[in-house]
Amino acid sequence: MAWTTESRWNGVLVLLAVFPLWELLSRAKLLHPLFFPPMTRILRALGEIMLSGNLPGHIVASLQRAAAGYFLAAAVFITLGILMGYWQRLYNLFELVIELARPVPPPALIPVAILFFGIGNEMKVFIIFFSCAWPILINTIDGVRGVDRVLVNTALTFGLGRFELIRKIIIPAASPYIMTGLRISVAISLILVVISEMVGSTDGIGYFILNAQRSFEIPEMYAGMIVLAALGYTLNRVFVLVDGRLMGWHKGLTARLR
Amino acid sequence: MAERGRPSFRLAGLGVLVALLCLWELASRTGYVYEVYFPPITRIAGTFLRILLDGTLVQHMLATLGRFGRGYLLAAALAVSAGLVLGYWRLLFTFFEPLIEFMRPMPSPAIIPIAILLFGIGDEMKIFVTLYACSWPILLNTIDGVRSIDRTLFNTALTFGLGRWELIRKVVIPAASPQIVTGLRISLAIALILVTTAEMVVSNDGLGFFILDEQRSFRIAEMYAGIFTLALLGYTLNRVFLALDARVMGWHRGLTKKEIL
Repeated sequence: MAWTTESRWNGVLVLLAVFPLWELLSRAKLLHPLFFPPMTRILRALGEIMLSGNLPGHIVASLQRAAAGYFLAAAVFITLGILMGYWQRLYNLFELVIELARPVPPPALIPVAILFFGIGNEMKVFIIFFSCAWPILINTIDGVRGVDRVLVNTALTFGLGRFELIRKIIIPAASPYIMTGLRISVAISLILVVISEMVGSTDGIGYFILNAQRSFEIPEMYAGMIVLAALGYTLNRVFVLVDGRLMGWHKGLTARLR
Repeated sequence: MAERGRPSFRLAGLGVLVALLCLWELASRTGYVYEVYFPPITRIAGTFLRILLDGTLVQHMLATLGRFGRGYLLAAALAVSAGLVLGYWRLLFTFFEPLIEFMRPMPSPAIIPIAILLFGIGDEMKIFVTLYACSWPILLNTIDGVRSIDRTLFNTALTFGLGRWELIRKVVIPAASPQIVTGLRISLAIALILVTTAEMVVSNDGLGFFILDEQRSFRIAEMYAGIFTLALLGYTLNRVFLALDARVMGWHRGLTKKEIL
């Protein structure tokens, strides 16, 4: 065995080897060059559509939809989750409805959304809103219910009112859970924006990829996929960064406790 | 949370559900909401029964389930095996980690166009898409499960002279199984989403196709009946999984409970 070191370079090497291998196999026609065009052609296509202004427009359209649905879901369902976690009666009232609505696969609602909103932006925002709802809601409820009784009782002893209690104790104490729900929903929002753009749209990155395949512009299709992967990666990194900033106190706290 | 199981509170939840359904029915019958978009619940229920009995729903459901089952089980077999290998041999993992990190953030529906290109618009395409999307949670959870196994278990097994294959079969797989099951559960929901999506993009049967097709033909009651069937399917699959989980993994829950006590 020549390779015995467990360094990160191993993987980078493999990753770097994939590209020339793809290029070679495609040029030698061992891979069907129509279905697997050479890497250099894909990269050239990527450069062209990025510069022509075609792709940036699609990216912006997709990002706007994802952001609108995501932030709407965050605002509505964090609020609802805090209320439902805090007031047990409210939870009991809506538990059954939630349990029935949750197993609906979000794409199943696309036809309903098309019916009500047409195939414009509202339809996609609604679908993203619906699919991001569950992780945020369930995690927030869990977080609020898991708040240490001692914290709540201490706050009450010091004479905090109900709203102060929620603002100063419940929300900070539940925030790690809320962040988990928000993180899961970032990935979900991107998936659903792609799906809804594939089913009915005239722009957006999901539309772009499917349309490129249908017009047999295969290098463009791969270029779109690379952009999508980069987008998913970047969004995740941004979230981790924001999380680190906002929740730094929490990480510091738990690390110290250990 | 002692109130949770009390029947009066459960009844309250049921009351809210019934009230919502009645409200829908009334609003639709009185024309308060557009009746074409919100047909009365009773009509949807009637339609559901009709297309269930004439076999339409069953036929589409079987098509969806067939694709779902093949994609999901294939993903389980491949991803668990790959995860065991990658989790066990660290060296191998270092080779593939960046590749995995590179491919994972791409939203899985983006694979649909390639799948159409390679497999056409038939069953294989949908099975491939499902397989691809399900593989990630299973693979990553399996790798994680294997890597976090207690060293003591390994050393004990080695002390007792277990060979490598026996070690994997008798120690690694059982010890990693709780996390493998977690990956399998996450993938269950993903599989249903991707099958439905693939059927919406191109298909001529399956529940995803059925729902979109009914909407496009403006048979709205049928569309709602289809969505209800899909929700029912999702719910049932989850229940079946939990039941299987309790059976297969019962030993694990018994173990951890004992340790806590």
